[in-house]
Amino acid sequence: MSCGNPTDAEAVMQRRPKHDKTKICVRCKVARGNLVIRHAVYCKDCFFPLVTHRFRRALEPSVNSKPDGPRRTALKPSGNLLLGYSGGLGSAVLLDLVHRCYIAFDRSTMQTDGGRDHPRHERVWKKVTVCYVEVCDAFPGMKDRSAEIAEIVARYEDFEFISLRIQDAFNRTWWEKVGGIPISSYLGVSLAKEDLVLTSHSSPSTPLESLHTYLSSLPTPTAVSSSIQTLTRLLLLHTALQTASSHLLLGTSLTSLAISLISGISQGAGFNVREEIQEEWAPDGTEENSARPRGKRRVRIVRPLRDVGAKECAAWLWWRGLSVVGLDRRHASGASLGIGELTKDFITGLEKDYPSTVSTIVRTCGKLAPKGDVAGLCVLCERPAQAGVQLWKARTAIREPVFQDTPDRGEPDAPLNSPPSLAPHLCYACHATLTSRRGTSRVEQPSVPLPVWTSVSPILEMEYARGKGTALPPPGMARMAEQEMKAVVQEFLLDDE
Amino acid sequence: MKTLNDRYHYGLELFLLSIDEGITGYRDDSLETVKRNQRQYDIPLKILSYDELYGWTMDAIVAQVGKKNNCTFCGVFRRQALDRGAAILNVDHIVTGHNADDIAETVLMNIMRGDIARLGRCTSICTQGEDTIKRSKPFKYAYEKEIVMYAYFKKLDYFSTECIYSPDAYRGHARAFLKDLEAARPSAIIDIIHSGEAFEVKEDIKATQKAQQVCKRCGYMSSNELCKACTLLEGLERGMANAAITDRARKKLDADGPVPDNLRTIPFFYMPPGLRSSSYIPVEAPP
Ligand SMILES: [Zn+2]
Ligand SMILES: [Zn+2]
Ligand SMILES: [Zn+2]
Repeated sequence: MSCGNPTDAEAVMQRRPKHDKTKICVRCKVARGNLVIRHAVYCKDCFFPLVTHRFRRALEPSVNSKPDGPRRTALKPSGNLLLGYSGGLGSAVLLDLVHRCYIAFDRSTMQTDGGRDHPRHERVWKKVTVCYVEVCDAFPGMKDRSAEIAEIVARYEDFEFISLRIQDAFNRTWWEKVGGIPISSYLGVSLAKEDLVLTSHSSPSTPLESLHTYLSSLPTPTAVSSSIQTLTRLLLLHTALQTASSHLLLGTSLTSLAISLISGISQGAGFNVREEIQEEWAPDGTEENSARPRGKRRVRIVRPLRDVGAKECAAWLWWRGLSVVGLDRRHASGASLGIGELTKDFITGLEKDYPSTVSTIVRTCGKLAPKGDVAGLCVLCERPAQAGVQLWKARTAIREPVFQDTPDRGEPDAPLNSPPSLAPHLCYACHATLTSRRGTSRVEQPSVPLPVWTSVSPILEMEYARGKGTALPPPGMARMAEQEMKAVVQEFLLDDE
Repeated sequence: MKTLNDRYHYGLELFLLSIDEGITGYRDDSLETVKRNQRQYDIPLKILSYDELYGWTMDAIVAQVGKKNNCTFCGVFRRQALDRGAAILNVDHIVTGHNADDIAETVLMNIMRGDIARLGRCTSICTQGEDTIKRSKPFKYAYEKEIVMYAYFKKLDYFSTECIYSPDAYRGHARAFLKDLEAARPSAIIDIIHSGEAFEVKEDIKATQKAQQVCKRCGYMSSNELCKACTLLEGLERGMANAAITDRARKKLDADGPVPDNLRTIPFFYMPPGLRSSSYIPVEAPP
């Protein structure tokens, strides 16, 4: 329609020369530079402290359970540490940095502070566990790399190692092992209509079969990639609870963070921009009867490489003689690209010509807060869901008016005869993942299994019972008899004689 | 609007406002259509040109600044031109034809450019600042495809001409990206708009944003002493057109001496009488 209307000087994206005129390192001002980072030249010796500094700056203010401003007190986390490791660029750097800074106490990582008694010389986390989630079973022909990964982790002393498979998301044995509520009955869902009717998933297949049914029922490649991300994230979070970890660190670089922010926004997850950067997670509040130790039920997800670009990560690995395991999933799947992959191509392409784009995206998103009320956690991704989502959808599109949100979401009362439905308990993005299609539909399963944590969600069980007509009204919401109602409104009633 | 206004007795007094950027070969056809629309619908039309308002056509601006930053001028000038045209017509509400695709693109652009102020308001159907005329985008949830289809079936003229000077390469990339997203999953456009409505600028950030003031030279709302259009215009007039693009160049402009007395400026902007005090019912975007 029209060309752009940027407002101010910084808004005008101009190509700048790759780096300033000088070839001397901007930090020590002596050595010849080896690497250009966002227009500035650094030498190899100055590069390591620079990355280490950015890593600590992003992580350490979030270590203590109460943030203490520009950290000067000792680092005292309330639990252990879990590291998510995918074998990829960022997570390889993460492992290396955590080991150097908090286990090996490599001198080079603390050159700015003197004193032997400095808190940095004490062990911060009692136990550090690395968790890997093998996703090869989700893609035909993809190589299993768990053995290779185990070997790499074993090179670091003092790291515990847990290896999971993506299908553990449907594995009741795993679920009970990490301390989840035992599963009495399985819930499934029909993806045929947008209200996502809940079903009793009677045939408990193997976790692998369940995974395959789940993924093959999803309507788009976008949905497949984002579901795998969500499943991986929840597997890691529940493992964090199992290992009594207060922190889960991910190796998301500045570049990958920009990608996941834009990708999430493009899939309707604007309400969770904050969680994409840093997240406080606790399993749904009603897990009182679980076997987990009390008081250790909060996990903070931190991405300490969020100020370090992909290029710097690559340089770090190269100079440290470390390597990356695994390859881009798209080559293995051969399927058409989803929003996640498209965003990755877009951002990495843009980063070449406009190197400041990724940091602008991350900086901008860091200034955003969710808008509107929270309606509890989404039962699938366990992130805060915005209230009123289904109403919004109904208002903005012409479509079948099937929706009834539950009363606790501040939306219209579900009539007692409506089928039990998953839709009102999902966030916008998860609902889109399960329902947004492209072109014609495919073969539909009458019932698709749900991940274990969704299956045991008390809210869903209540919803299922309600839809089956066996529900008692929730406490405090007893249905009023007609006489009672009349008593309440008596004085406003007009005589109809 | 015309149909609805007649059919449902909205009682609105409608005007057509078209901006002529002064780009040879770009607006010519669409301005012809606008003139035909005027006769067809019997609605008064105002065509406001950059030349009339600023003394510069886009052709002349490009001749001076080249094709690199011309979109900056065009965008700043257009935004003010709409408000100024509306003020001339003495209307209290501007309705633009932005569709869902445009808004999704704007959400992405504002994030990538770090334009936090725009990001906060670009998804509102209706915006109204204290010193601006109310604006609405009734096609916010209508896909471009749907609008083209409506135009097709109603045999309307529809222009999607790309600005010939446009190569705002950056926006071009964003637009191509959005098309790819839509192909991967058609709901992407509406999903992006939903995202845009699901966040807002943090309170502490809002507090640090510059307070709006009024441009001391032309009376238009501005976050600085001089509004963007006046700064750009001064640069053009003094032959240092890139002055407003970077801070460094701006300093050079200031160092070059005070503003000459004979500098051409934009006519002073007055809100249409009665608007400032009138009570509006703010129409907010759905939550
Ligand atoms: Zn150096
Ligand atoms: Zn969700
Ligand atoms: Zn001005």
